[in-house]
Amino acid sequence: MIIVFLTPALICYVLVFLYPSIRTTIMSFFAVESVSDPVSTWQFHGLGNYAKLFHTAIFRQAMRNIANIWLVGGAGVMVVALFFAVSLTNGMKGVRFFRSIIYLPNVVSAIAMGTMWINYVYNSSYGFLHNVFASLGLQKLSETLWTGPGLLFWSMLVAYCFGMVGYHMLIFMASIEQIPKDYTEAAHIEGANALQRFFFITLPFLRGCFRTNIVMWTVFTVGFFVWGQLFSPVNLSNATVAPMNYMYEIVFGSSASTATVRDSGAGAAIGVIMMIIVIMAFAATNLIVKNDDVEL
Amino acid sequence: MKKQVRSLEHHTQARLIPSYILIIGWVAFTFILIGWVIFASLSTSQEIFSDHMFGFESGFHFENYARAWKTQKVSLYFMNSVLYTAVSCSMIILISAPAAYVLSRFRFKGNLVIQNLIASALGIPAIMIVMPLFGLVSRMRLTNNRWLLIFLYIAMNVPFTTFFLLAFFKSLSTTYEEAAYIDGCSPMGTFWRIMFPLVQPGIITVTVFNFITIWNEYFMSMIFANKTQVRPVSVGLFNMIQAMRYTGDWGGMFASVVIVFMPTFLLYIFLSEQIIQGVTAGAIKG
Repeated sequence: MIIVFLTPALICYVLVFLYPSIRTTIMSFFAVESVSDPVSTWQFHGLGNYAKLFHTAIFRQAMRNIANIWLVGGAGVMVVALFFAVSLTNGMKGVRFFRSIIYLPNVVSAIAMGTMWINYVYNSSYGFLHNVFASLGLQKLSETLWTGPGLLFWSMLVAYCFGMVGYHMLIFMASIEQIPKDYTEAAHIEGANALQRFFFITLPFLRGCFRTNIVMWTVFTVGFFVWGQLFSPVNLSNATVAPMNYMYEIVFGSSASTATVRDSGAGAAIGVIMMIIVIMAFAATNLIVKNDDVEL
Repeated sequence: MKKQVRSLEHHTQARLIPSYILIIGWVAFTFILIGWVIFASLSTSQEIFSDHMFGFESGFHFENYARAWKTQKVSLYFMNSVLYTAVSCSMIILISAPAAYVLSRFRFKGNLVIQNLIASALGIPAIMIVMPLFGLVSRMRLTNNRWLLIFLYIAMNVPFTTFFLLAFFKSLSTTYEEAAYIDGCSPMGTFWRIMFPLVQPGIITVTVFNFITIWNEYFMSMIFANKTQVRPVSVGLFNMIQAMRYTGDWGGMFASVVIVFMPTFLLYIFLSEQIIQGVTAGAIKG
């Protein structure tokens, strides 16, 4: 019975996760032009693919972009999510309503969300930001080209992070709700103010939860793709390219630019680099945030 | 005493005013965003570009929807997605529930290893697995095959679902199985007739989750379905948006956006509590 019940799930795992991961790792050390090339045509290339990638300007730009997304976007998302989570668990009214609306963008297709941002919020002649700034009399700000070359990356980042806040907020909220109320009440009676209670009671309890959030944020950042494509639909642009967009370009070759050479070996190397980033984030958070004393 | 409690309550509410302002602002913005698309989908292109769109001076233009549905092939993408999500969501449960049950109940060599492998799949990025899969599939000439897409959707969501249901099975008491055993029920029968129905709440939550994931899945679908005939809504929508920029049919484009996000949106309105519990249950253990 064990075998019968487990086999289908294991087949799925081996076929779609295990085998491809191993093959991608091996492929990253070989010079391979097209993904469908048979193994016999592969040529051993050592770390050549990796070296080549880090000498490619657009790949370095892509790495810089996800570093910015991870650090700046991540800090912003975590601060907002934590603030919302603490507020909502602190006796606010209408918690269920607010909570579900804040999470809503996660449920809607990213393509639909992106379309709303690009065509409405950021539109410089009738968009939301244009109207808000115009009604405040800030003529100059209202004429800003939010999706122009200078601001494209940051506009994309804000739109992306807006949707992500809900997910991380829910995780924070679930952990905060599990903190025994006695601690905060005792502190309250002893005269600790709201900030002290937050920093000395709530935050230490949330260590495990920060670990989850940071690992998940890293997984999402590494998979950053759709938003980059939405904000620069035709060609790769320095402002929006992420490693996954570049991989798509050199492995599957989007129709717009015939100039790029197909290089699946390098594509595989990008995959491995992304995987290493996730593993590093996981290991680092395990080291920094010891989760053994508080199991939440 | 009662008065004191009330004043404390007033005090709390007063202290929360900044939080209220920010959260209400955030929520209002979300409403404006979605409301605007719905309004835009009912307007003509000229009205969208003007400042007085909300007046609906020329009435509601439901023909945008008809046009998107018929001429822009939204109906085709929509039906594809309905087929893909329905088949994969049910298959995922049929594969994951037995696996989760076995992993939660039986001690055998490699049990923990398998559990860890399954958990690790949640962190493997799509970029790591897509190339060999595409190589394999194109050598087998299976690109643009509906069943292949469904298989991918299933296999990619089995680890998460198994992982999710594992916790549910673990929380069930073993007395059910003992009673069934004494009454002469076979282990298989015990699972399908007793244990499987008992985890129904978990199955519903995770299925809603899988539905949303598969409905919105973009990357894999884009690579494995590049023919119009087999495209799901996410890829179809992206292509429509790119095309409509040039045709200038903005009303139709926003109508397509609304049609595509409506199913998950409606599902969320009715099941938001369950979905929210699912998010936290799935993530905290991971």
